[in-house]
Amino acid sequence: MPQAQANDSAIKIYYDGLRQGVLKARKCRSCDRHTFPPTTCCEHCGSWDLDWVELTGRGTLLFATHNISPACHPRFEPIAPYVYGHLRLDEGITVQAIIRGIEATPEALRAVFERGPVPVVADILVMDDLPVLAFRPAG
Amino acid sequence: MRNRLRERIAIAGVGCSRFGDLLETPELKGLSIQEMTAAAVKEALDDAGMSGQDVDAVYVGNAMVHSSQLPATYSQLSKWIGTELRSGVHFEAQCSTTNVGAAMAAMAIASGVHDKVLVVGLETTRTRVKDLSPYEREPISHQMTWLWTDMAVNQAYQVPQGYDIFSTYNGIVALGYCRKYGIGIDDFDRGMFEVCRTRRLHGSMTPKANIQETLEDEARRKGYADAFELWRSDKDNPFVAWPSRLKSLVTTADGASAMVVTRAELAGARSQPVELKGFGICYRDLPWYDEDPTYWEGDRRSVDQALDMSGIKPADIGYLHTHDCSHISGLCTAELIGYIEPGKSLAYARDGRLRFDGDRPMSTHGGRHAFGHAWAASAGSDTYEAVTQMRGAAGARQIPKRPDIAVIHTHGYAMVGTTLVLGGL
Repeated sequence: MPQAQANDSAIKIYYDGLRQGVLKARKCRSCDRHTFPPTTCCEHCGSWDLDWVELTGRGTLLFATHNISPACHPRFEPIAPYVYGHLRLDEGITVQAIIRGIEATPEALRAVFERGPVPVVADILVMDDLPVLAFRPAG
Repeated sequence: MRNRLRERIAIAGVGCSRFGDLLETPELKGLSIQEMTAAAVKEALDDAGMSGQDVDAVYVGNAMVHSSQLPATYSQLSKWIGTELRSGVHFEAQCSTTNVGAAMAAMAIASGVHDKVLVVGLETTRTRVKDLSPYEREPISHQMTWLWTDMAVNQAYQVPQGYDIFSTYNGIVALGYCRKYGIGIDDFDRGMFEVCRTRRLHGSMTPKANIQETLEDEARRKGYADAFELWRSDKDNPFVAWPSRLKSLVTTADGASAMVVTRAELAGARSQPVELKGFGICYRDLPWYDEDPTYWEGDRRSVDQALDMSGIKPADIGYLHTHDCSHISGLCTAELIGYIEPGKSLAYARDGRLRFDGDRPMSTHGGRHAFGHAWAASAGSDTYEAVTQMRGAAGARQIPKRPDIAVIHTHGYAMVGTTLVLGGL
């Protein structure tokens, strides 16, 4: 970890980044792959030799479903039921996150499924106590 | 990794409580968590022809200590199960707990340290300690159960960012399955109805199951024209993660299970032991799959390890349980194992092939939906059912051709893929 961030938790750096609309990740100097969200070592090869990088925030929504209401976590009670998606980011990272701009109804989700993969961009959701990774269809 | 056991290992005895609710279910109502657990342990010890003083070590698992308020179970239970002055540990591998315990016991025995190990799992996902009472309990809200359960899930990122088990374990896997095999959403829905109908049939024939009512009987009781009308009801079977419905999911339960693991030659003459031929354990943090939600590399490795250690092939399997908190995920695992042809699970269900009397029997106790799910106790309940089937003692739900080889796969949230292979001694 670079010395300037030696005492900052990767978790705090990540959420501080989200608060500014930036997706922060680690990139491995050994295998050149990303770890996102960031941790202390490369999730792929186990190397501890990492750089901090920023992701583009662009990706592809592969599948979209919804959650239950009330939500499992009280933080999300105000917005449940919400759409939850399985995505591939442009950097090749697979993530799951809340999807904005699509209704959590069988009809809307069926339309998304029948359309196939959908380009998306990051659209950070600001809850009362925490910024949350989210995406919305691009364009 | 050598992936070999140096001793033949036996499961000499198995026990399991009724799964249900400590406040309501007749066989459990009024019991303490200690007494519920003791009932499962006594059954396992009696089955093995042993007492608690015959075992060298006790491995006790409980995942949700928030509801049990019972850490250090090895000593807190010892006077209830007769195991004072043994070696022991409290551990957990969430919903794989008891079967991971069986694997740990096998390793302890095969290493030459212990001869006989008692493995116990206990869980209360429906009720919790009321205030600080030593015996009074109260219901747990659905949200609280999942909040506590999700403490086993990525707490840095996924849970704080809106992760939902039903979306990740059901909805996305279902959509991946439909896309991969070109299955229409309506056909998927009908197929999942058939899967549930099978599990509920099995539950109706299992005296220890949480739900013992068939889907058809529930439909009649609630005034529906038939079971499929009940299935499509937004009121009684809503989508919880489209296109997956409520009745394709886990049902929570309080419960306990136990097994006695020994060196094969020490399995008593009074017992009907089976061999624990092999196991595999592999975990992964979220997301549990890459772009294809139907393929889980952690399960691939767990299954391959277990089959390699035991020296069996998928074609040898006569009975299979896969973790089915999510019916569609459990079917994907069955296909990964090679028990069902890829993409054919729903057709197998429709044709009755997954029933106890079909040619690919699965989850004959009713699985997580009908038998119910008491997190740390459930893997033991699955092993209990497999041993019961191998002994030919399953009564009305007995598989006609008694299985010589049984495989039990579980997912320990979140997420330990665990596979046991059992065979005759």
